[in-house]
Amino acid sequence: MTVFKTFLKILNKNKFIIILYTVFLIGFGGFNMQTSDNSTNFVASKPDIMIVNYDEEKGITKDLIKYITDNSNIIELNNNEEAINDGLFYRDVNYVIYIPENYGKDFMDGKNPEIKIKSTGDYQSSFAEMLLSRYIKVANIYQKSIDNEDELISKINETLSKESEVEITSKLDTDGLAKATFYYNFASYSILACLVYVICLILSSFKDIKIQKRTIISSTNYRKLNRQLLLSNSLFSIILWGVYVALSFVLIGDVMFSNQGIIYLINSFIFTMCATTIALFIGNLVSNKNAINGIVNVIALGSSFLCGAFVPVEWLPDGVLKIAHILPSYYYISSNESLKTLEVFNLETMQPIITNMIVILGFSIIFIILTNIVSKRKQKIG
Amino acid sequence: MKNIIEVKNLTKKYKELKAVDDLSFEVHEGEILGLLGPNGSGKSTTINCLLSLLNYSNGSIKIFGKEMKPDSYDLKSKIGVVFQEVSVFDELTVYENIDYFCGLYISDKETKKKYIEDAISLVGLEDFKKFYPKKLSGGLLRRLNIACGIAHKPKLIFLDEPTVAVDPQSRNNILDGIKKLRDDGATIVYTTHYMEEVEILCDRVIILDKGKILAAGTTDELKELAKIEEKISIEVNDLETKYIDKIKELKNVDDVKYNGNILLITYKKGKNNLVEIMEYLKENRIKYNKIFSERPTLNDVFLELTGKELRD
Repeated sequence: MTVFKTFLKILNKNKFIIILYTVFLIGFGGFNMQTSDNSTNFVASKPDIMIVNYDEEKGITKDLIKYITDNSNIIELNNNEEAINDGLFYRDVNYVIYIPENYGKDFMDGKNPEIKIKSTGDYQSSFAEMLLSRYIKVANIYQKSIDNEDELISKINETLSKESEVEITSKLDTDGLAKATFYYNFASYSILACLVYVICLILSSFKDIKIQKRTIISSTNYRKLNRQLLLSNSLFSIILWGVYVALSFVLIGDVMFSNQGIIYLINSFIFTMCATTIALFIGNLVSNKNAINGIVNVIALGSSFLCGAFVPVEWLPDGVLKIAHILPSYYYISSNESLKTLEVFNLETMQPIITNMIVILGFSIIFIILTNIVSKRKQKIG
Repeated sequence: MKNIIEVKNLTKKYKELKAVDDLSFEVHEGEILGLLGPNGSGKSTTINCLLSLLNYSNGSIKIFGKEMKPDSYDLKSKIGVVFQEVSVFDELTVYENIDYFCGLYISDKETKKKYIEDAISLVGLEDFKKFYPKKLSGGLLRRLNIACGIAHKPKLIFLDEPTVAVDPQSRNNILDGIKKLRDDGATIVYTTHYMEEVEILCDRVIILDKGKILAAGTTDELKELAKIEEKISIEVNDLETKYIDKIKELKNVDDVKYNGNILLITYKKGKNNLVEIMEYLKENRIKYNKIFSERPTLNDVFLELTGKELRD
């Protein structure tokens, strides 16, 4: 109890650091929740199309122009090649359709007249090409069997007006899951920074060579004292994890009561244990209290940036992600990201997450071994 | 007399270097033993071996009649150590620091509380209980360091230079505290570089150098070891060389030095040296202002035994 009491006293002296990192989590995590755009509505974008018509605007030609006009933004530019090329270059227009002279007549005669186009080559122009191609394909099919132009136009419009019905079977709360993922990703920074800072500070006091000498010569078993210290640190880690989990229930309660919520809890718990072993390793390695701040910045900030705690993983360059593979945070964040789209929970779908958890536990074991080596080396005074 | 510490043929080697070389000594119950020696003489190594902080190459150490081992927790409970460096938690107050270190030995709450108060009172830190170490002066820090080492009322106390860099007031307070500990029945092993402290405190002294005991005994016994018996210094103006040569030929005179206007005469043995030199000055009508006679100090003995060359 002597060690635990002293641990609590030193912890109490550093409570502001814990509060600070918790405020970071609520502040930045909460702020992102308010501003993140995870809209589920879809509005099709319309490409900017210019139509240069050399035919008479009647019959099938008129209908083609109407179809394109209904499904795009028609752009009016000067009908000269220089102006059209400038328009394409400056993206004033995505696609230019040149309808040749006698197009309507030639089409009805089954000559399959050629329509020339110019495009910017971007995704908007692809969409414009899809519109044109769709109309011509449908028109070609009916033209082979229908000679009457009015009947043909009627059939084409009837076909084109049919829309596929899409039923969304997913019941995922994508908005809530995105928020939860961001919260737990950001929590990796707060957990790591807080644990490394506090545990290093406390260990640097207890493991100070002068204090250690005084402790070794006392009548209390030194191993027992070390065990008490380890238990105190672990208890602190669990309490910190508990506080951050409780906060997540307050901020994103709906998600936390779902299956994904349980996985977020397990994943963050395993990461917290791993962060504790990292903190214990560094705490045994570093005895200079003034260096702790710098170490926290390098380890917590560094790994959070590299692994995608602040910036979405998909934005990170491949080189950075390769480096991130050597950090536990990467596997933790990777699992959180997987949870965003995970709907069916079975061994097969959960396999990547379970693998990530095993990797994090592997990191923990490595840090425990390293801590033991460092600790034993330091104990050898003579 | 009961021996609290018995050291026999203790040897500690660092590769080829013998830091402690076949050391044997005892510490008797209730005494203050002074451990003297220049830097690197093996004092700290000896104490670290006694406390099982270091493994030793050869010999045996018995404390309270039992062999001292790293897991001798029953023996450790009777031992208190005050290291030279202040070893306290910066994050804890004076009271909390003593509470922690006392708590490593005493589990009973009430007993511990009483012991902490006693320790605070012994070192005179009653007004600083809630102070953090960074707010304490050097002297107060030293006193806190002592309180942390002795709060559990040990029967054997090791004090390693506890008064280094301390003002005279704090030093007196610390020395009074140490005497009180001895009077309360504790046996003390005291390491210091201050000879006057040894003369005031220690019942016996061991002088170490290069890992070996050069001399051991009471302060008076050690002074007997000095080649000189008496030092007489006389303030004389413009003394002619012929008189200096004549003084050198006087009975028992070992050496004569004349620097500035101070004539320093050292005597090997004999009595009435002061009377004889005064008669000689009178006969030769040599006028003098002041004259002092002093016995050799422990410092003289120490320097004579360990040499005057500088140590690291």
